Amino acid sequence: MQEALKATSENSQSLMDSKNNAPSIRIKELDFLYGNNQVIHDVSLDIFPKEVMAFIGPSGCGKSTLLRCLNRMNDLVDGARIGKGSIEIHGVNLHHKSVDVIELRKKVGMVFQKSNPFPKSIYQNVAYGLQIQGIKSKQVVDGKVEESLRKAALWEEVKDRLNENAYGLSGGQQQRLCIARTLAVEPEIILMDEPCSALDPVATGRVEELILELKNEYTIVVVTHNMQQAGRISDRTAFFYLGKLIECDQTKKIFLNPNKQQTEDYISGKFG
Amino acid sequence: MSPSREPKHPFATRITRGRVQESIMFGFLRGMTFFVLFCAAFLFWDILSKGASKVFEGDGMLNWEFLTEHPQTLHVIGEGKDEIKLSSSNYFKLKDEKILVKWEEFRQSDEHDQARRGLDKVINLLEREWGDDSLAQSNEDFLNRECDNAANKFSFWKEMLVDVNNTAIDFEMKPEDVPSMVSQFILGHFEMERGRFSLVEEKITLFRAMQYPKIESISLKNAEQIEDAYKLFLSVVPEVYNKSIKLFGREVRSSYDEFMQVEGPKEFGRFAEAIVAYSNVRESFWGKDYESENWESLQASLTPFKRAMNVSLPSRDYAYSGGGIFPAIVGTLLLVIGAMAIAIVLGVFCAIFLAEYGKSGKFLSLVRLAILNLAGVPSIIFGLFGFGLFVIFLDWNVSLLAGWFTLAFMVLPIVITASEEALRSIPQGFRESSLALGATKWTMIKTSVLPFAMPGILTSSILGVARAAGETAPIMFTAAYAKRSELPWEGLEHWTDFFFQGVMALPYHIYVVSAKIPQNAYTADMQYGTAFVFLLLVVGVASLSIILRNRLRRKYRW
Ligand SMILES: Nc1ncnc2c1ncn2[C@@H]1O[C@H](COP(=O)(O)OP(=O)(O)OP(=O)(O)O)[C@@H](O)[C@H]1O
Ligand SMILES: [Mg+2]
Repeated sequence: MQEALKATSENSQSLMDSKNNAPSIRIKELDFLYGNNQVIHDVSLDIFPKEVMAFIGPSGCGKSTLLRCLNRMNDLVDGARIGKGSIEIHGVNLHHKSVDVIELRKKVGMVFQKSNPFPKSIYQNVAYGLQIQGIKSKQVVDGKVEESLRKAALWEEVKDRLNENAYGLSGGQQQRLCIARTLAVEPEIILMDEPCSALDPVATGRVEELILELKNEYTIVVVTHNMQQAGRISDRTAFFYLGKLIECDQTKKIFLNPNKQQTEDYISGKFG
Repeated sequence: MSPSREPKHPFATRITRGRVQESIMFGFLRGMTFFVLFCAAFLFWDILSKGASKVFEGDGMLNWEFLTEHPQTLHVIGEGKDEIKLSSSNYFKLKDEKILVKWEEFRQSDEHDQARRGLDKVINLLEREWGDDSLAQSNEDFLNRECDNAANKFSFWKEMLVDVNNTAIDFEMKPEDVPSMVSQFILGHFEMERGRFSLVEEKITLFRAMQYPKIESISLKNAEQIEDAYKLFLSVVPEVYNKSIKLFGREVRSSYDEFMQVEGPKEFGRFAEAIVAYSNVRESFWGKDYESENWESLQASLTPFKRAMNVSLPSRDYAYSGGGIFPAIVGTLLLVIGAMAIAIVLGVFCAIFLAEYGKSGKFLSLVRLAILNLAGVPSIIFGLFGFGLFVIFLDWNVSLLAGWFTLAFMVLPIVITASEEALRSIPQGFRESSLALGATKWTMIKTSVLPFAMPGILTSSILGVARAAGETAPIMFTAAYAKRSELPWEGLEHWTDFFFQGVMALPYHIYVVSAKIPQNAYTADMQYGTAFVFLLLVVGVASLSIILRNRLRRKYRW
């Protein structure tokens, strides 16, 4: 009982924090289209520093699309474009001409659904982001690799086999390696698209623990289909349906007492 | 539908249409497959078994000579069971040995003593005359005049020779008959010009002098070659002259014995022949003069020596059937490696553009169409294209470089298509994660797409090039020589010359020995031997590429 109370007070504390802080990411009335197919309709959403934001919603509702807008991964897709509105990080419009995508992506890291380490050694995987920046000093890279692997709670498991192929790791370890790889370039914001969907419960547990730990340093946006997971790890949750943001609130509130009927139906498994 | 009889159950019918059709189709398809299998097996069995007899000689030992020597004329001595097959170099080695034996015999005989004394006498006589400076001068004058004279005559001959050559072609003469016809012609011409029938024999000697060792390898096929031969002859005359001075003149080789000590019997034999030719020429241009008597006695005293040198080793000769195919192996390897490098560099960059940068659109489909069509162009057309562009227009001549580019263009479609496929087979995830880590597009391609696509690119490209290297048509006009006596790294004046030289190549060699020379049992041997080596080479390159792929695959597996 006491613990529950404590948790609640902590939650409200973090809410206070976020209220005080300026939002880290601000999405304003965003429309997004693939060619002529509009997949995001008029979404406005603020994400605050050092919180975990979960995106939920039925398949095809545009969660991944929105997530990929946040570090402009959608630039890769032919014909993908913003219809109206904007995304700002620290007040800078991401889609402005003057924005350097490379720098943006260093600040906004991304972890994908399918763990996809490069078919190289564990060490090379983590060092990759540093090496492409031209950092040659072995000392610096070594230090960074260890630091990142420690943060990703993988160091103990792999410290003796850094030079082995990353595909020798288990699925969960691979996913944590991908997280470590992302941490190595020192992002502020980490985007995760269903990071646990290919993992067994134990591995999922490890990754979730990790996310809770990373929360202290990073702003994290997670897409998930697993309601319990959203409940366990996120501070706030946004529910999307057919490209529209239906509701965004404290996770507890969304799960226990949502404002909208659609949200309740989705969470209670009536559709989706 | 007869109500009286109960209908039979369909299973009870033994043969239905379906079953018949099924068994016919099965037999047909199996027959087709076996036919293909049979043809393939026959091809390999035929080439490998027949080729093996050339590459491994009767006793199962590797025929090393075949792999490491230049192609040569095959000399076959004797018949049936006693038949000995010798390549040119071995034939002449044998002949030299025989000469030495005969020479030794001659040295032991009384005849030798007698001959030597006669020769020494003449030498003394000549020495007195040639040692005189004024005479030496007049000899030099003579030589100059003679060379001029000959050069003038030659330009006249040359025109005539073109006619002769054309006539030879008109009458469909065999090329090997042309030289004798040409020499007949020259002789006849001399006869007419000088009006002196007696000169004919001397001209024959002169013509033999034209076959002086240096020029023996030249077959007198056309006017230009005759010209070369004649120029060589002109250079031989001073050589003879110099030798004479050495022998008779101020340099102290004043006797036969001394000459033998310094130069050896073989040299002496050549000298003897040359001196005879020289004195004949001298007489034919100068007429008999005050020295003629001495020359005549010199000739007479040389005759026994000449006889001792004259060993006949009758053989049947078959062009291209002796020796080996080393230059062709080297040439083919060079062609493969160079063409591969060019094709892979060009092809991979094109493929990167198409697979990574190209947005789907009109331009891309145009490029794809072009590549597709390029793949269908017959190889002979590529050969002509290479000939027109590289050999003629860019003036690279028949050269390695021209061959490389022609072959490279020929395999480019294969390389591009294969590389594009390899690039597309790399999971999109690698690209995305690389970009998400702050890589630029080119860094992404360089670090997390290309290395992983390399195994696929290399295997298909190497296989493609190895296949193309087997084509005769593209290199026939652009890079291949039927015969070349230097290896590619020999006799280069400047390192760039390396790229501008033609080479021999296995496929073209097979073509030459099967289509360009008179056929017989010995050439067939050569063909199969070459085909055998070539087949092994191609299989070797292919397996190399597969080994390479497997190694790289093991390194980059996902
Ligand atoms: N590259 C693309 N080109 C065109 N349309 C796309 C592309 N990616 C996604 N879409 C469309 O955009 C819509 C939203 O897709 P998105 O991947 O964002 O959904 P999602 O919410 O992530 O679904 P899921 O939960 O299944 O991952 C879908 O209708 C999809 O068909
Ligand atoms: Mg998705």
